[in-house]
Amino acid sequence: MKLMNAFKLLAATGAFFLIGCKAHDNNPGFEYAPNMYHSVAYEPLKQIMDKDAGKWVNSSGEDIGEYYSSNPNNPFSMNMRVPPANTVKRGEFLPYRIPKDSLEYASRVLKNPLTGDMDELTKEGGVLYGKFCLHCHGPKAMGDGPVGSPPADDPNGVPPFAGVANLQGAALKNITEGHIFHVITWGKGRMGSHASQLNQRERWEIAMYVKKLQNQ
Amino acid sequence: MASKHSLKRNFKVFVVLFSLLISYGIQTAHAQSSAVPTDPKIISAGEELFKQNCMSCHRVQTQLVGPALKGVYDIKDLSWIYTFVKNPQKVIDSGDEYAVELYEKFKPTVMTSFSTFSDEQILSIMAYIKDQTDNPPAAAASTSGGGDMKAQPAAIPTPYVNAIIIGAVIILIVLLVVLVMIVNTLRSFLSQKDLSPEDAEFVAKPAGLATALRNKALIGIVTAVVTAVVVKGVIDSLYNVGVQQGYAPTQPIAYSHKIHAGQYKIDCNYCHTGVTKSKNANIPSPNICMNCHSVIQKGTNTGTAEIDKIYKAVETNTPIKWVRVHNLPDLAYFNHSQHVAVGGVECQTCHGPIEEMEVVRQYSNLTMGWCVNCHRETPLNTKGNGYYDKLVEIHEGKGDFTVAQNGGIDCAKCHY
Repeated sequence: MKLMNAFKLLAATGAFFLIGCKAHDNNPGFEYAPNMYHSVAYEPLKQIMDKDAGKWVNSSGEDIGEYYSSNPNNPFSMNMRVPPANTVKRGEFLPYRIPKDSLEYASRVLKNPLTGDMDELTKEGGVLYGKFCLHCHGPKAMGDGPVGSPPADDPNGVPPFAGVANLQGAALKNITEGHIFHVITWGKGRMGSHASQLNQRERWEIAMYVKKLQNQ
Repeated sequence: MASKHSLKRNFKVFVVLFSLLISYGIQTAHAQSSAVPTDPKIISAGEELFKQNCMSCHRVQTQLVGPALKGVYDIKDLSWIYTFVKNPQKVIDSGDEYAVELYEKFKPTVMTSFSTFSDEQILSIMAYIKDQTDNPPAAAASTSGGGDMKAQPAAIPTPYVNAIIIGAVIILIVLLVVLVMIVNTLRSFLSQKDLSPEDAEFVAKPAGLATALRNKALIGIVTAVVTAVVVKGVIDSLYNVGVQQGYAPTQPIAYSHKIHAGQYKIDCNYCHTGVTKSKNANIPSPNICMNCHSVIQKGTNTGTAEIDKIYKAVETNTPIKWVRVHNLPDLAYFNHSQHVAVGGVECQTCHGPIEEMEVVRQYSNLTMGWCVNCHRETPLNTKGNGYYDKLVEIHEGKGDFTVAQNGGIDCAKCHY
């Protein structure tokens, strides 16, 4: 009887430990067949830097744990590497070389290189505008997106991000597509460069869409 | 006739010039405020122009991106203001003392050129500024604390749960006391009667915990309940092995999706740049944070503490060690662009209400059954995609053309 009770108690404790293994907060929970979970190859955006991780499932006899997946030859042991300077991406436009301070020159000489169904491209530009511009510049490009406009309960208050350009205002109403392309690439005033988020094709599509908004 | 006409015009020009000169003299003597019109019509025209063109960077009473404009017509004369507004950079480059001083104070931001403005338009803006300077709007009760005033989310609020539990415990205690009282009353009643020795012994037996524990019925019930709970717990947790649903690790920077994606409605794609182009959605590098946080240096939740960590990462060029939340096993292949760009699946379908999460947690269980279920139920997004034309034709009249019918549940689709 006493042995039975002790057994039951043990089972209950075991069960509670198991229940505790459910993933929550900082605990990812138990893994099933863990050696198939962790990539042997270097993965971007995923790396384990602890050299002892997974030592208990080691089958290779090496002194480094099986889950360790960082590249010690890279800076900060990262798996990703910045491409060598001046690398040119295949299948895309050549890099944009007009420097930041030459906005006037860029807006004068730059011509939209895109060809094809312009309406379709403008439509794509509209989708990209909604994702990358709207939260500051607003749906009609009047500088009234949720980030660029004052809080709802205080229309004269300070917006979270002050100084968002109203692209329908007198100063910017007649800018060229080249001007818009240059500003998206380099930023202007308080706006930062969006070149890392949008490739050249996408920037031209957005420029076309902004012109469409301005001409409405 | 022509010469007479031109003479007349010359005279007119002369008069205008002369009056301008005189008024200029007066203006410089008594500052400029008298030259700024007070006609309500002009003021309202100026207000319109101000709101459309100036307000993103300027306020009348306070400094924003650029200086406060109150009394600007007293600081510099109107002609200077006209030239400056039309081309600020040129005035700065010319070495004008005040313009350079302004540039030094607000650099690197330089005011946009408003070359299309006429003098009258700028004057009307001045009229609006003068109106606002002389009659400052009553300070609105500043209530903007930035905090959201939303009520607590649904489900039973904790205080109620606590009250219910406390109430139940009190009732149970009262019941226990009543039962003990009944037992005592019965015992004292029985002890006054003539009883057989066996019964007397039974009545005299103390009714304690030990007796209760020896009660077979009680032992049976407790054992059954405990076994049921244990079995359920074991089965549940065995099903949870390898499933990380609910995992919500603490991140190195307390970034809130609720503020960025919820309150400010910044699209997921703005930061997760790879989501339409690559296998990985991508974690933004700090340069994307800096597009906004170059300006926004104080957060809603944590003030400067968390945002300072971005600045430190940028200054020292050190990567931020974000903790990966969704760890799909290496044995399964998943591609974001295939689902988002081609399939048109919303982020929330798999990631849940991300725009309401302060800390991101894994919303779906990411098991194979979950994947396969969706592939069985979801019709393929074939619209405007010539690649599928023939396949659509073949599957016509056979119900929905689902992902599964297109090979979406073949083993080698994900496991290879």
